[in-house]
Amino acid sequence: MLAACLCLFVPVHAAPGEAPRVATLDWTVAETLIALDARLVGLAQVDGYQSWVAEPSVPETVLDLGLRAQPNLEQLVGLSPDRIALSPMFASLVPRLKTVAPVTTFDLYGPDVETWPAIRRVTRELGAFAGRERQAEALINDSEARLAHLAQLLPADTPPLIVVQFMDARHVRVFGENGLYHAVLGRLGLENGWTGETNRWGFSLVGLESLAGLEGRLVVVRPYPVGVPRALGESALWKRLVEQSQGEVLELDPVWSFGALPSATRFAEQLVEAIDAE
Amino acid sequence: MPSERTAMSPAGASGLLLVVLLGLMGVELHAATGGFALGEWLRPLAGPTGTGEWLLALTWWPRLVTALIAGAGLAIAGVLMQQVLRNPLASPTTLGVAGGANLALMAASLFAPGLMLVGSEWVALAGGAAAMGLVFLLSWRQALSPLVVVLAGLVVNLYLGALAMVLLLFNQETLQGLLIWGAGSLAQDGWHDAAFLLPRLAVGLVAAWLLLRPLRVLELDDASGRSLGVNLAGLRLAALGAAVFLTGTVVSVVGLIGFIGLAAPNIARLLGAERLGARLFWAPIIGALLLAVTDLLLQSASAWLPTLIPTGAMTAALGAPLLLWLIPRLRLEVAPPTLGETGWPRAGRPERRLMWIAAALVPATLLALFSGHVAGQWTWWSGASPVWEWRLPRMLAAAGAGILLAVAGTLLQRLTGNPMASPEVLGISGGVAIFLLLGIVLLPAVSLPLLVLLGVAGALVALVVLITLNARSGFLPERLLLTGVAITALAEAVRALVLAGSDPRGQQIVAWLSGSTYFVGTAEAFVVLGFGVLAALAVLVLSRWLDLLPLGAPVSRALGVPVGGGRLAVLGVSAVLTAAATLVIGPLSFVGLLAPHMARLLGLSRARDHLLGAALIGAVLMILADWIGRQIQFPHEIPAGLVASLIGGTYFLWALRRL
Repeated sequence: MLAACLCLFVPVHAAPGEAPRVATLDWTVAETLIALDARLVGLAQVDGYQSWVAEPSVPETVLDLGLRAQPNLEQLVGLSPDRIALSPMFASLVPRLKTVAPVTTFDLYGPDVETWPAIRRVTRELGAFAGRERQAEALINDSEARLAHLAQLLPADTPPLIVVQFMDARHVRVFGENGLYHAVLGRLGLENGWTGETNRWGFSLVGLESLAGLEGRLVVVRPYPVGVPRALGESALWKRLVEQSQGEVLELDPVWSFGALPSATRFAEQLVEAIDAE
Repeated sequence: MPSERTAMSPAGASGLLLVVLLGLMGVELHAATGGFALGEWLRPLAGPTGTGEWLLALTWWPRLVTALIAGAGLAIAGVLMQQVLRNPLASPTTLGVAGGANLALMAASLFAPGLMLVGSEWVALAGGAAAMGLVFLLSWRQALSPLVVVLAGLVVNLYLGALAMVLLLFNQETLQGLLIWGAGSLAQDGWHDAAFLLPRLAVGLVAAWLLLRPLRVLELDDASGRSLGVNLAGLRLAALGAAVFLTGTVVSVVGLIGFIGLAAPNIARLLGAERLGARLFWAPIIGALLLAVTDLLLQSASAWLPTLIPTGAMTAALGAPLLLWLIPRLRLEVAPPTLGETGWPRAGRPERRLMWIAAALVPATLLALFSGHVAGQWTWWSGASPVWEWRLPRMLAAAGAGILLAVAGTLLQRLTGNPMASPEVLGISGGVAIFLLLGIVLLPAVSLPLLVLLGVAGALVALVVLITLNARSGFLPERLLLTGVAITALAEAVRALVLAGSDPRGQQIVAWLSGSTYFVGTAEAFVVLGFGVLAALAVLVLSRWLDLLPLGAPVSRALGVPVGGGRLAVLGVSAVLTAAATLVIGPLSFVGLLAPHMARLLGLSRARDHLLGAALIGAVLMILADWIGRQIQFPHEIPAGLVASLIGGTYFLWALRRL
């Protein structure tokens, strides 16, 4: 994180009045940059982004840089971006990429990081990075105002929520501390039903049986892997968990689980809509 | 077959395992129900009341029963395979069934999700059977000799693994669930798995007992068997069919469970259950108890573990040391090296052949440097365009790594007299992979120099293991290769564990393991190439030994070669070369297998020509693999190591008739 902060104090000079052309490998950084209307010119695995992050959608002018773990250097050089944004996941690529353009690392998820302040900080940093300071402030304010508004639409007796995403018919990622969904629940004034340990991305991979005995209502974030809905129909354990859930199980459309403000707002909107639909 | 008698009998060992199992069960059940009597522990099954009780009824008890059934089923499959192939190292994992099932499931869920709805067990079964068929095809010429079967199994596993890696590289998010399956989780959500498995286990068991008497004939040689009026081919087919059926059903329900099928029959045999009937009785009991105990231990430890640790990969990880321990205690029927000096073509003027291969380097180099995508357009000739500066280090590194692996492979193939020996098979690459994996997962952000350091450490550890375990046998080639098989199996288990953890860094891990020239800078590239060329020239000193060693120990000794020391020297050199190459292009490549083979096919039979020819071919192959990987899915780059193993594996299958 220190490295990220230090980098920001080194100004990168772009043509005055013109925002720098930026490229990134990280989908979380990308969704923020697109939301800021930055001059994003290159992104890794665009089709993967379209199916897993989906919103905000990638402008057609953005060039695909190939795999996130090994972006195509020739493509990147041909694109000659002014700056490259990464997350710490790509630390091993920095020496290679900085020969193309200055690289800045944005650190969002990590152990003992308070997610919401971190999202705010990273959004501002990205605003400065992409020459979109004003838009960054606006995005933060709009998102927080939107969440505050959504929070008021919720019934006061909403039970704690247990947010899961199915990996197969017997294992789920359950989202808690350090994660995006947890932070959004906090902003909405809701309690997270999962208080157990989570990893640095704010989820824990557990067997379904770990959800037994938890107080709260189940929220499933789609997509389901192939065959899982049918398998759940035959699962005595899932049936029991559904009975235990305080209210019908909520299903939400796919949202990038490791996202920033755009994903946070989308998750909150879907969640509140689903709860209020009753 | 045991070379020593142990104090314990199969009954004693099973009794001991049973006591451990009951103890663990008692602790857990007491914690869950507060009761001490079996009646209290079973009562939740009739009508659970609280959360704790219905967890017992819906997950804990079904999981225990499933573990017992699965363990027994895999053990029976192992006994059958080992009996039919007269090979104590045959098992569902070593014969490629597991790898085949894995790839089939991945491909089906990506390209034909409809098949997964029809029934994933059938997909797994088909994939597993096809992979095993491939292993048999590969080893058919060698009359299914034990060592050849195991090596063929490893090669098929590596090949299918490379294909699975490509799918994973592009679809990490979609395939996450299958990674858990691949690591074998026994988590249950009711009784339907146990209900599915139990009748099938019964069918398998009945089939095994029906085959018992005719199968004993297989302990004789084929001629006496035939004279007793047994249809040997039909018998083998029936027994293997039963084994694959058992494996396929178990694996499709609980995922890949490593080593139970290998370990349980061997433990039973080492404890004195030598007759087939006794093994068929004790192996399933031992297998069932072994899996159930491991699973219960993992469950009770899971509270302290940072992430989900699936049982199957854990048994595989624990099984690898067991295999290492087992190897010196096995009496393998070693067929005389049939591939020594016959069956290969011999060129009249090897120098001329070498010149031709060297000439092929020119077009390969030009292609790699000057053709490719510029600004999204594919061109044959990008001329003065600056992009070629980005291509130069990759081309050089690919060539260097190719030379290193080819030389290492040639050394090993000549040392062992076995055309399936290669650096991958020796386990050095596996050692590097284990260390890199643990480094990437356990350290928050890994820099490049740190990864290199970790890789070197991994290679050294693997080498030390190889040397210490084989010093006593005087570096007997068969033992060396089997040690490598065990280390490679451990690396696969670690990979499965890491990938099952659902870490968002999965793609990076896959990319690192796939071996790419991506990270090499110009300076490093020249170092790699320089090292490769120097090594290729330096090992020519060993040429005389390498000409003589394949003739066998007595002949070599009579001609003045220090056999033990000579083997150690050749082994050490090839380990260093492999380590260097693995750091550049990763643990997955068939170049070390392929290049020496092709050189031999081109008639380069003397050690000196063989080494030089293989080195040149290795360079050409890797340059082309790197180039193809960069073009075929542009802008997505498929790592050179993966492309090389796909080309290599395909060639291998084509060249079956030679083996």
